[in-house]
Amino acid sequence: MTAEVQREPRLVGKKAVVAKLGMDAHWRGVIVVAHALRDAGMEVVYLGHATPEQLVAAVEQEDPALVGLSSLSGNHLEECRAVVEGLRAAGVEGVPVVIGGTIPPSDEGALADLGIAAVFGVGSPLRTIITRIAALLA
Amino acid sequence: MSDPPTTASGIPLPAAAGPGDVAPGLDERLGRPGEYPFTRGIHAEMYRTRPWTIRQLAGFATAADTNKRYRMLLERGATGINGVFDYPSLRAVGSDDQRAASDVGRGGVAVDVTDDFDDLFEAIPLDRVSVSLVSSQPVGAAPHLAMFLAAAERRGFERAGLAGTSQNDFLMETAITIAPEALPPAASFRVECDVAEFCIRELPRWNPISVTGYNYREAGADAPLELALTLAHGRAAARELIGRGLAPEEALPRISFFLDAHSDFFEEIAKFRAARRMWATFVRDDLGVDSPAAQKFRFHVQTSGVTMTARLPHLNIARSAIQALSAVLGGTQSLHVDGYDEALSIPTEHAALVALHTQHVILWETGVAGSADPLGGSWLVEHLTDAMEESAGALVDRIEQLGGLVAATEEAWVHRELSKRAFADQQALEDGRRLVVGINAGLDDGDGAGGIDGDVDVRPFELPPGALEAQRRRIDAVRSRRDDGAVAAALGELGSACTDGANVMPSVRRAVAADATLGEIGAVLRDSLGRWHFPLW
Repeated sequence: MTAEVQREPRLVGKKAVVAKLGMDAHWRGVIVVAHALRDAGMEVVYLGHATPEQLVAAVEQEDPALVGLSSLSGNHLEECRAVVEGLRAAGVEGVPVVIGGTIPPSDEGALADLGIAAVFGVGSPLRTIITRIAALLA
Repeated sequence: MSDPPTTASGIPLPAAAGPGDVAPGLDERLGRPGEYPFTRGIHAEMYRTRPWTIRQLAGFATAADTNKRYRMLLERGATGINGVFDYPSLRAVGSDDQRAASDVGRGGVAVDVTDDFDDLFEAIPLDRVSVSLVSSQPVGAAPHLAMFLAAAERRGFERAGLAGTSQNDFLMETAITIAPEALPPAASFRVECDVAEFCIRELPRWNPISVTGYNYREAGADAPLELALTLAHGRAAARELIGRGLAPEEALPRISFFLDAHSDFFEEIAKFRAARRMWATFVRDDLGVDSPAAQKFRFHVQTSGVTMTARLPHLNIARSAIQALSAVLGGTQSLHVDGYDEALSIPTEHAALVALHTQHVILWETGVAGSADPLGGSWLVEHLTDAMEESAGALVDRIEQLGGLVAATEEAWVHRELSKRAFADQQALEDGRRLVVGINAGLDDGDGAGGIDGDVDVRPFELPPGALEAQRRRIDAVRSRRDDGAVAAALGELGSACTDGANVMPSVRRAVAADATLGEIGAVLRDSLGRWHFPLW
């Protein structure tokens, strides 16, 4: 990458597991954000597509500080529910789950109710994403 | 401004272009509309005698739901169908697959069996309305086309009279859209060309490949890379089809293209014009083919989804209209305009109709359709057309040095170039080098986060419920009526065709005739041709 995101001291050395769920096909957003997290100092484990079961297994193995999800297909409510329930069933606690993508603002409340820690809709600047994640992990 | 202005891709802009900005020899580089090198358009009279096809994308939930949307668009003045499939269907994964559950009917229509194609095109006169199947990935394009044909023939339409397009692009499967279990690039390209070869021999009015530069652009390419990947793909397909023994005069006119209309108005027009000239030059000089039909770069355009904003979505109507105008001034053969709610959901009926009628505004009100290539001879546009040819040409040369587009995909060159530009583009937005109204410019509270007084909330499209259950019921019904032995035999034959190197289309068609499901056919293709790890990270 030629361009850089500034390092964020609160994120340096922390690990993120990042994935796309279901069959959604768009990778541009998730890859751009993954690069930004890495430039900010995080260790990023990008899974590509994962089923909720595969994601939970990766979280158990990697012990990340953050789980980042991406959805542009409209599958976010079902998939987030499955991920949150899977993490809970596996006894994973205290790892914030955030999501970005084509998420209608009207769904943000339902995602918060599921336990999603932050929603980054279309147009979210990288610096906003980094700052909010840093605050979540502080 | 500190830096001198450039186009979006970095071509320096003259303060006021003049004759000195256009290299000598312009007459030869232009020709006349309808004549080599087709810079000015592929028809002599362009839209006077052949208006572009108004082809609005549609697809969601079940085939019956989508059929209603198709018919509404046709009744309101669309002149072709542009049918998009949901994510599992694009990948030939069944709606009954656990991984598909949350995406059935999302982003496109769910199809699993031929009966779905019966419903999808019910009451649509397939002998008069051309159909673009946005079957972007070859693994899905082959069975989708087989099911479409089976359904059309069941209704009594002659195969030879069916007009349309399969998108069918191996780069969509291996570089542009991710999903689990992509075919390897060479295998996906082979299936693409199997479909193309079948169509060239059997379906005289079908475009079996639409090289989807649009999606390359949306994934991160700038205009020169979009054009270069598109042309490199066209080159690969042309060489492969000729290598299979098809006559160039038969095969080349059947390759079609699909480009993006992005925000930089004159650069986009230059891109469309350069595309025609570069393709014609390649066909004549590299392939040695003199047939004008073989030299014509025919293309569809969609306005740019990634430029649409979720904030102040009504501004997207202005963005789309300007982008659509660039496509018309650039000489497109068909056009989709995005809905203003593109950044929120697939289009509501209201957004779809505003987009449809935006095309009518351009066609009927502005007068731009009356004269071919109205910007031909503009010093600025000719300067940019030449510059685009040069920058895209250098990238085409680079891809050829890598061994062509399949090799460049296998070694992840394509993925690196796309993600590099996607990230740089986001950085340009964040540091203010690229301005987007409502995001980082034009509103008064510093960070652009304000609104417009009286702005109306846009409600996202709500998917009709029940698609997943309907598809599962339909798959069960087909499985209970069919002869499982015949299905197993047909799928076994398909597996053999894959490993033997035979064209897969005849056996895909036999599997469809035996009522194999899309997911079953996709599984055989993946099991026989392999699965590829997508090298994005």
